[in-house]
Amino acid sequence: MAATASSRAASVPANVPVGPWRSGWRRLRRDRGGFVSLVAAAAIVMLALFGSATLSRLVGHDGNTPFLYGASAEHRPVGPWTHVPTPKTPTFDAYGNLLTPPKGTKSTLFVFGADGPLGRDELIRLLDGLRTSLEIGIGAMLVALVIAVPIGAAAGYFGGVVDAVVSQFTETVMAFPLLLFLLFANRYLIGDIRSVGWSWVVPEGAIGEAVLIGTFTAFYPIRLIRAQLFTLRNAEFVEAAHMVGASTWRILRGHLLPHLAPILLVWAGIAIGTNILAEVGLSFLGIGVQVSTPTLGSLLSTVWGTIYNPQTYNGEVYTPWQTIFPMVTIVLTVFCLNRLSEAVRRALEPRAVR
Amino acid sequence: MRAARYLAGRVARAVLTLLTMIAVTFALYFAIETNPPVATFFPSVAKGTPATKQQTELVDHLFYLDRSKVGLYLSYVGHLARGDLGRRTTLDHNRIVDAGSVAPYQQLRVTLSILLGGALLVLLFSLPLGAVSGTRIGSWTDRVISFGALVFVCMHPMTLGLILRSAGGRVDWLPTSGYCTFVKHPAPTVGFFPAGYKPCGGPVDWVTHLILPWLTFALLFLALYTRMIRASVAETVEEDFVRTARAKGASQTRVLARHVLPSAGLRVLTMVGMEIGTAIGVCIYIESAFGMSGLGTAAVAELGGAQLFLELPYMLAIVVLITLIVIVGNLVVDVLYAVLDPRVGVQGGTQRTKSLVGGVF
Repeated sequence: MAATASSRAASVPANVPVGPWRSGWRRLRRDRGGFVSLVAAAAIVMLALFGSATLSRLVGHDGNTPFLYGASAEHRPVGPWTHVPTPKTPTFDAYGNLLTPPKGTKSTLFVFGADGPLGRDELIRLLDGLRTSLEIGIGAMLVALVIAVPIGAAAGYFGGVVDAVVSQFTETVMAFPLLLFLLFANRYLIGDIRSVGWSWVVPEGAIGEAVLIGTFTAFYPIRLIRAQLFTLRNAEFVEAAHMVGASTWRILRGHLLPHLAPILLVWAGIAIGTNILAEVGLSFLGIGVQVSTPTLGSLLSTVWGTIYNPQTYNGEVYTPWQTIFPMVTIVLTVFCLNRLSEAVRRALEPRAVR
Repeated sequence: MRAARYLAGRVARAVLTLLTMIAVTFALYFAIETNPPVATFFPSVAKGTPATKQQTELVDHLFYLDRSKVGLYLSYVGHLARGDLGRRTTLDHNRIVDAGSVAPYQQLRVTLSILLGGALLVLLFSLPLGAVSGTRIGSWTDRVISFGALVFVCMHPMTLGLILRSAGGRVDWLPTSGYCTFVKHPAPTVGFFPAGYKPCGGPVDWVTHLILPWLTFALLFLALYTRMIRASVAETVEEDFVRTARAKGASQTRVLARHVLPSAGLRVLTMVGMEIGTAIGVCIYIESAFGMSGLGTAAVAELGGAQLFLELPYMLAIVVLITLIVIVGNLVVDVLYAVLDPRVGVQGGTQRTKSLVGGVF
């Protein structure tokens, strides 16, 4: 990268040489699909961060507020774009059935319909779920990074026995279905961390789930880092650093780790996406965050049931919007993250296959 | 000779993996089942009477807690080497009695049916799609194929399965849940059955029950493999031997079929071995979405905590069968690789990797 930049600078004297990051950013901006996915991903993150808080401030209720008129007497939730009456004092007939409110009663708009027999606002729950899912995705990515960098760096830089042990271990574990380990760890190892949370910002169980997913997806970045350092450790600039007397720590930190940043950036984008999918899977397995907390996975699994019992909560109620909106959100989010990572990879390694 | 030594090393490694997995399962079992649930077996203990020495000893024996762990491990491995997956025991009137073999062969059949049929479907679709896409990088065809592939990667197999199941519910001849054996069994003569009852079975029933699971499996892996084959083909097309073949006057199709695809396929083959575990993970969701009881759902029920207590023989049987699928699959890949690539076993060899997207299953 450095060589091409300097040769370009030599041939065109007027052109100021630019660093790899800046030239990468220029290439990313020129890639139309990549730039669109960057904007979309940023919009999704903003929506997740501020969406539900702003919206619940505006409409005066949050994702856990039940509405009497949000579902019919047969527990059928109202569909998308419905005005739901919010009377101060609801009136019942002699049998305890809810009466239609008088004309002029205040009502609120459910844009994405209601979520189930409780009649809660699906849109706010979806935004809440998006936030929790992104928190889990990003948190798990960070946990994996913290585990992978020291192990991968040690294996890649020192080689020999350390590398043999790490490689054999990661290869064996990765050959097996991850789900088995996840299930087992969730039941017997995680324990108290499952109830750690902080108000509505980080719901109970989100941290535990991030640690769970992060620990068991750290194998991929370990191999990534190891492979990268393996090719770099005999490079000329490392030899040069050795020759002038730099310590191992200094070479690792100052000369080798900066080379990991591009590949880890690409990995991080895809990893957040796959972690979100992992969370969906864990919700279907009935493990993870508390049932009442909306995540993209639990919004789906409350409709479809868990893996032990794939049944809807009421087979006679057909409510496609409860499936469509979370599913579209999942696909959009993961798609944008994947597409963005691919664009970043192309921008930072321009010679790779497009 | 070099290939033979390479394969021998692989087999030794596979056996070592199996032994390690069994040891890990043993370790986990004995770490968890430290105090067996005496109250579950003796109602008097459940009511509050303290358990007698005989009762605790019986339950300890039932849960394998009173024996040497190393001896137990060795005897299990010995039985396994003779093809015996172990037997379940239970308490009956204060005696420990045999409760039949634990071997989940029916579940194995379900999982293997999904895996093999799905893999065939993936191969049928992804080779042409990847080849078309990889030779026309940047064209509209390539863009459409890549886009479609990426969308399916972004879907969870469970949601994909549930969508297909609801769609299949609208087609009369397409069953949406359950599994049918490939071999037709005679109709049962004992018990009550409604008039016109026909037992399900036979090749046709087998296929119709598996169409939707196969499709779910194929759509997910199609996406991964089309992208892999595309990248591999795009790299291979640039190479000298392909240009030589073109220069000698071979047609585009011939070059693709005889020169590009075998070489590109070899690169993809190195990934397949790592994906077998992923495929079993995906099968867990597919089996659940289509109401089949396979190895995956058995594992989830046993390990995930749906059961009151763990059963060592059953747990081991599931782990051993899943491990066997993984290592036998890997060995097949290795043999294929040794046959196809004469450079096999050369110092440095091939680095095995796993696709990142598949990493979550």
